[in-house]
Amino acid sequence: MSSVLSMAFPILSHWLIVCFLSPLFLGVIAKVKAFFSGKVGPSVFQPYFDLAKLFRKKCVYSSTVTWIFRAAPVVILAVMLVLALLVPFGRFKAPVQFSGDILLAVYLLALGRFFMILAALDTGSSFEGMGASREAYFSCLSELAMFMNFITLALLAKSISLSQMVGAHIPMTWGGLEPALLLVVASFFIVLLAENCRIPVDDPETHLELTMIHEVMILDHSGVDLAYMLYAAAMKLFIFSGLLVSIIIPVRTGDHWTDMAIFFGAMLGLAVLIGIVESTMARLRLNRVRLLLLISFALAFFGLIVTLWRA
Amino acid sequence: MEFLLGGSWPVPFGEFSLKLDPLSFVFLIAITILVLCSGVYGLGYMRPYQGKKPLGFHVFFYLIFALALVLIVTANNVILFLGAWEAMTLSTFFLIIFNDEKSAVRKAGFIYLIASHCATFFLFLMFFLMAHASGSMDFNIMARTNFSPLFAGAVFLLALAGFGVKAGFIPVHIWLPYAHPVAPSHISALLSGISIKMGIYGICRVLWIMKVLPAWCGYVLLMIGAISGLMGVLYALGQHELKKLLAYHSVENIGIIALGLGVGVLGRSYQIPFLAVLGFGGGLLHVLNHSLFKGLLFLGAGSVIQKTHSGEMDHLGGLAKTLPVTSVLFMVGALSICGLPLFNGFISEFIIYFGLFQGLFGLPVHGVIASSIGILSLALMGALALACFSKVYGTVFLGKPREGLRGASHAHLKIGEATSARTPEEQGRCLEETSKWMLLPMMLLAGLCIWIGLVPRSVTGLVFLGGAYLTHVDLSTIPIEQVLTPLTMVIRMAFLFLSLILGLIAVRRLLLGAAPMPIRETWSCGFAQVSSRFQYTSASFARLIVNLMKRTLLFRRHGGEVSGAFPEKTHLASSVHDASEELVFAPGLAFLNDLSKKLGHSRIRHIQLYLMYILLFLVFLLVWKLK
Amino acid sequence: MMSWIDVSCILAVFLALTILATHRIVGMIKIIALQSFLLSFVPLFLHAEAISGRDIMLSGGTMVLKAVLVPAILFWTIRHISMRSEIKPIIGLGTSILCGAVLIAVAFWISLSLRLPGKFESSLVLPCSLATMLLGFMIMVTRTRAITQVLGYLVIENGIFLFASSLYDAMPMLIEMGILLDIFVAVFIMAIVLNHINEEFERTRSPVHRPKWGESQ
Repeated sequence: MSSVLSMAFPILSHWLIVCFLSPLFLGVIAKVKAFFSGKVGPSVFQPYFDLAKLFRKKCVYSSTVTWIFRAAPVVILAVMLVLALLVPFGRFKAPVQFSGDILLAVYLLALGRFFMILAALDTGSSFEGMGASREAYFSCLSELAMFMNFITLALLAKSISLSQMVGAHIPMTWGGLEPALLLVVASFFIVLLAENCRIPVDDPETHLELTMIHEVMILDHSGVDLAYMLYAAAMKLFIFSGLLVSIIIPVRTGDHWTDMAIFFGAMLGLAVLIGIVESTMARLRLNRVRLLLLISFALAFFGLIVTLWRA
Repeated sequence: MEFLLGGSWPVPFGEFSLKLDPLSFVFLIAITILVLCSGVYGLGYMRPYQGKKPLGFHVFFYLIFALALVLIVTANNVILFLGAWEAMTLSTFFLIIFNDEKSAVRKAGFIYLIASHCATFFLFLMFFLMAHASGSMDFNIMARTNFSPLFAGAVFLLALAGFGVKAGFIPVHIWLPYAHPVAPSHISALLSGISIKMGIYGICRVLWIMKVLPAWCGYVLLMIGAISGLMGVLYALGQHELKKLLAYHSVENIGIIALGLGVGVLGRSYQIPFLAVLGFGGGLLHVLNHSLFKGLLFLGAGSVIQKTHSGEMDHLGGLAKTLPVTSVLFMVGALSICGLPLFNGFISEFIIYFGLFQGLFGLPVHGVIASSIGILSLALMGALALACFSKVYGTVFLGKPREGLRGASHAHLKIGEATSARTPEEQGRCLEETSKWMLLPMMLLAGLCIWIGLVPRSVTGLVFLGGAYLTHVDLSTIPIEQVLTPLTMVIRMAFLFLSLILGLIAVRRLLLGAAPMPIRETWSCGFAQVSSRFQYTSASFARLIVNLMKRTLLFRRHGGEVSGAFPEKTHLASSVHDASEELVFAPGLAFLNDLSKKLGHSRIRHIQLYLMYILLFLVFLLVWKLK
Repeated sequence: MMSWIDVSCILAVFLALTILATHRIVGMIKIIALQSFLLSFVPLFLHAEAISGRDIMLSGGTMVLKAVLVPAILFWTIRHISMRSEIKPIIGLGTSILCGAVLIAVAFWISLSLRLPGKFESSLVLPCSLATMLLGFMIMVTRTRAITQVLGYLVIENGIFLFASSLYDAMPMLIEMGILLDIFVAVFIMAIVLNHINEEFERTRSPVHRPKWGESQ
């Protein structure tokens, strides 16, 4: 009984963190953006209210859609929940760790993306087709950069388990100020922005514009389905941020509460940073996004070279 | 581990000797499943031709083909192998040109035949070199001979040239995109699922015989794998025709298999048996997996083509409503080929990735670089395959039926089937689900894809046995649990994922209640007169990626310019052209053609002179041999 | 040891890479100014334990000259000749980023076999300075406008500076100062020349559209 509990506890605590804090992360970003444009802005809890409202609403479906359109939100949310178990959040070690979990993580994300794209194409709308096409395109580039970073991290940690790669070995390497990590962090930050459709790549706040990606793909989703989609998007951002924070700040002070405070402080800092990036930068023209992702790839590549050089 | 079956056989040098070892066993399983499934499917698929075409020939060559395949993978003797190889090539030729009244079909058949025979030349050369060096025509005896590394390298290159054509490595893949689309669909499934795997089998057999290969062979295989995989999937993205697209995906998957084999060879040359077993095992598992899901996809494409009489993706759409079962089965195939979790493609790609990452830790620096390239190309292939299959599925099965099936402008696109153009409305009315004899084999294949995806231990034992057999080590000495334990975890997470899906569906049901949801039109930003032609087509979906690589893919656009305030009606066509065909083979053939024409003019038309040539050559041979 | 040298080296190459992806001249100048600013600290980092007056002079001189004066002149030039800000690359920006990545790899590969007298503070200095120089060359080769040639030259100079300041003992300060002055004069002359040519064209401009100076035809 106790062994079951000891297994279940980290899983539940991870899920609790992701489920409860991910909308807050979005709220903080929105608050920072409001601050920069000189507004008071909505409360940081606004995303919770939005989700609650959507969860109470019924769905409307297009006459064109098939079961895939209904399945996609469920699949995507389930993907994020599984993914949450593979990623360490600073003090909170990943409840599920095994050699190669990184591959499962990336391919689960791909599974979610596949359903997302299909749900968009299912509506037969040209807008959503456009968004789907862009998602497929940019994810190719960001996945390449992501894997490049993983190779560097794997070489540094001599392991292909996510928890090992961003956890145990990182403090040691930062101690020697491994310059490759700097590149990994920079590159991964770009990947984070691109994968989560944040500003230089996509504007999460525009609707019905021809330049957007994520928002346009969920144009026809409504009610609970939309809530699932938005919740999953919030979780994805939180999980990516947690991963990045685990690389930047390897918390091992030993004291439980300090570690936790450091982690959540860092997450807050990252949210503020994303907010600042979003407030100070304009969305890139579509054909420049590719350059951003290629830069991210080149940085990761440079990181790998430096790692090999040092080895 | 080996079963031998000998027999007397009145052919010089060759005794009728068969052998069943783990390597042939893996291939034999794939052959058995797919030949059976395609055969049953073919019964339904060929029904419309009954009485119109001599189906007996088709069945005859199908059986010869099946027999030849079994003989190839079990032959223990060079002569027997080559005989079976030729039987396979010829029977395949007759199977491909079933619709021989069309010139495109005949052309494809001849390209296949010529490519195959060019390849066989290298095979003869290779096998006779090996036989000469080892003094026997038996594979078993050859394997006991120690070859020098230089000789082994030369043989390896010949094997790549000879078997590579059959396997479809870039740049010698050009017969594939011709032959696959024109053949009847169950034959395409076999071509892609099994026939090209025979090339892989041949390479594996040579790798097994050549116990000691220099490390550069591994690097060559890795690079060929990376290039074939990436170019294959990129060309696939540029295609508009369903079966041609699938054909290019075969090139991609052959690339993945070559990556696995490359890792295996590297592991063997650097004496890291674990790495070798991972690479070979992953490659072999992908052989099996690819034959399952690619067979499934080709059969699914066949059903679509049989029902709609068009393989042109931009003329289809919305088929998920009219062909519900086929669409679900095709989805299983698509998810598998993209290597997504829960399905079999993920398992083999996981093992190959695992091997590549092990290579990162165990190999010297250039091995690390090669492994990184392998990992990156595999990742990019995965992302591109996902883009490609979301395009296929989205345009063929989802959305609304496109209004484009009318008119003669695309008559040339109809592939190998009876043609009759129909409007989408007509199409919608007369479309009904495929007959159950065609669905059954597809269900079996889809079930196997899911089975391997969820219970990988049922096959990993066998493929790692094959891997160990190729590495010439005992499997029990390999810490294979290091990869099986993570796989178990993957499966556990997969089941967790499935139960989460069920849970979330339940939550959704709870929140929504039982009342039916309102059905409206798709939101189109207030524009009321949306027709199905507004939808994103496969070409527009892939445009961003294809455009990025337009130089490599020889991407061309024709027309589409508009001018003035009230532009005229205009047409836009875009196409992707095979670089190796346009830049290597076409100029090369033109050169050869020129050369032979010139030689033809200067030839001397006296039979006596030819006789003299023969005499001179005979004398030369005698002098050379008896000197 | 917190090796700030390593970080500076990495950042120098990183910034050179971003220049390859920049499509506006103003942006390029800003990044180059930032790169020069960062690199001007290198002499101080190199002798963190005992900073001499010479280090401070070198560092300060570089900073004033390359991070302030040169960019200021370039900005002035751009404003005065009202040139278009878009660069005109011969190959696409995406391709040039990938080529840049390959050049970085080449730089590291070359450094493997390059044996130099003198001790380096950090093993990254040599490959990174080479990479910066190569990327500078790349900018000069693939961009067609006159001013981008100067910018590429500045990137190369930054690479040389990184290399030279770590070969500190083997290289007298005078030479480095001389190079700095050369650069300054070169940029200065370029500005004046561009300005004069522009004025000349203003006067003789025909009604037909004529591409502005510095653009390719």
